[in-house]
Amino acid sequence: MADVVFLALSVITIGSAIASLEFRSLIYGSIALMGTLGGIAGFFLLLDSPFVAMFQLAVYVGSIAVLILFTVMLVKRELIFKKIEDKRRKFVGIALMLIFITALGSVIMDSGIKSITTDEPAVDFRTIGADFLIYYWPALILMALILSGSVTGALVLARRENVENDQRTD
Amino acid sequence: MSVIAPNFKFSEFVKSILDNAFWMLLIFVLIGLPAVFIALFYIEMPVIDGQLLTPFLALTWLADPSRTIPILKAFMSTDLFKIAAFPGFGFAALIAAGTIFVERKMLAKLQLRVGPFYCGKFEGILQLMGDGLKLISKEIIIPAKADKPIFWAAPILFVATAAAFVALIPVAPGWVVADVDVGLIAVFAIIGFFPIITILSAWSSNSKFPFIGGIRALHQMVSFEIPLILSLLGVVILTGTLNLSEIVVSQSNFPWIIFLPIGAIIFFITILAELERIPFDLPEAESEIVAGWLTEFSGMIYGLVQLGTYLKLYAFAALFVVLFLGGWTGPMIWPPFPEDIITNGITIGPITAKIPGLPIFSQEMLNGVLWFVIKTVGVIFFILLPRGVFPRIRIDMLLSLGWYKLIGLAFVNIFIALGLLYAGVLGPGGILQ
Repeated sequence: MADVVFLALSVITIGSAIASLEFRSLIYGSIALMGTLGGIAGFFLLLDSPFVAMFQLAVYVGSIAVLILFTVMLVKRELIFKKIEDKRRKFVGIALMLIFITALGSVIMDSGIKSITTDEPAVDFRTIGADFLIYYWPALILMALILSGSVTGALVLARRENVENDQRTD
Repeated sequence: MSVIAPNFKFSEFVKSILDNAFWMLLIFVLIGLPAVFIALFYIEMPVIDGQLLTPFLALTWLADPSRTIPILKAFMSTDLFKIAAFPGFGFAALIAAGTIFVERKMLAKLQLRVGPFYCGKFEGILQLMGDGLKLISKEIIIPAKADKPIFWAAPILFVATAAAFVALIPVAPGWVVADVDVGLIAVFAIIGFFPIITILSAWSSNSKFPFIGGIRALHQMVSFEIPLILSLLGVVILTGTLNLSEIVVSQSNFPWIIFLPIGAIIFFITILAELERIPFDLPEAESEIVAGWLTEFSGMIYGLVQLGTYLKLYAFAALFVVLFLGGWTGPMIWPPFPEDIITNGITIGPITAKIPGLPIFSQEMLNGVLWFVIKTVGVIFFILLPRGVFPRIRIDMLLSLGWYKLIGLAFVNIFIALGLLYAGVLGPGGILQ
């Protein structure tokens, strides 16, 4: 059963990844990208980690894909993209990708992935949280500082009090 | 008066249906039944409990409650029933339909109008059915240069996403379609799909008003998702779980709105914004941009989007009830099933029918559903109420409200929750629990 689901997910993920590169329409390309990201969320579900899967959906499909869609809709395609049909580039790209995949695959296969037992229960998200707070707390605090700094910066940048006051008619 | 059927009369419509039923019955009796019996003559029927299974015996068994109630119970415990009927789609659609009618009638009363009046003999009670028939019978018009696949898919995806949201809501103990450990995160993930579908449908119609409305909807939904998620973190901190059923169980003594009123208020405001309701109905501002992102929808496509919107309304109201008002918990007011019927059976004159398998629903479940529906209807009422009272606000006011005030208040709420947790009042190992 899981094998069928795994194959279907692989087809969806890889197929929509290729489609997102090959579609002429940018909108359809970004929809296909959503399919890829959703397929990865499906892999996480298969790997018994629904917590990561849901965050994958919420963050990547729900936010990143929306940002890409938004950007694509606001630009005129002809202004930034020129049609370059170059067969050689395509083949070089495919060859590079194959080399990369084989290299990465051989590294992963040589690591201890084969000795992992697969019938263990799923990791509870509370354990992840406890690990974050006990072992990885410096990283967590660093991430929190960077994120809060960037959010504050974004808010400050987005604040346009003077302009807004000028635009008001009353 | 419609152009297609200028002389339409409802009585004649009913008469035509009855005519059809009469002819079908006549043909079935004269041709169908003899055909069935001829077929039965050649088919060997099985022998069950020493009796030959004739059609008459099968019908007798169907009328026997001691044989049908277990089948009914088995059916009600299936996933199909849960998805389609009770805690899932059917129940939510029923509440959504009731919401549409109550909204129209209540707004009319608030604004000293009459509202739906003529359809149905009493206060326009059949108006909703009439509207549904109208929407089904209308032509679906697609703009000439629209992107057809997305335009067709968007309303269906909208309803499907709303139904997925509904599936996560626990209605009574054990009565939930998808009881997942990460329920609240799943809710956040599903909410994230609505702006995508909205902007895609708006873009695909290739028309300016839907596109303006879609961009507004995107702005509004994406910026109000952040205070929505932050406002619920207080509840997660105090309960220590993301499972919605466990969150409800944790409120058996007191609802979280007592300790986290700020979070509840923020969540309510963000609900209004996510549902595009007045005072935040900029994406559908009918006096500015026709109907916003719904402009090009017609016929049943529009009907589907409306159904999805009201399913979403029910789901958000139910989520508020689950997280802040204690879900199905409440005093036991549902009367217990009479013991007499279980032990002695029902006595009607000379006949005593002992029916094993009763009661079908437990008292806890019925009581829980009753409390859940009462609370949800109350929250829906408060979601509907601003529409009759408030004007629409500007988009810069909306965005500054979302980004500055609500996010700040959400952090205040989180600090209150953390204070309660570290003071040892609430949470795991607290005084009150």
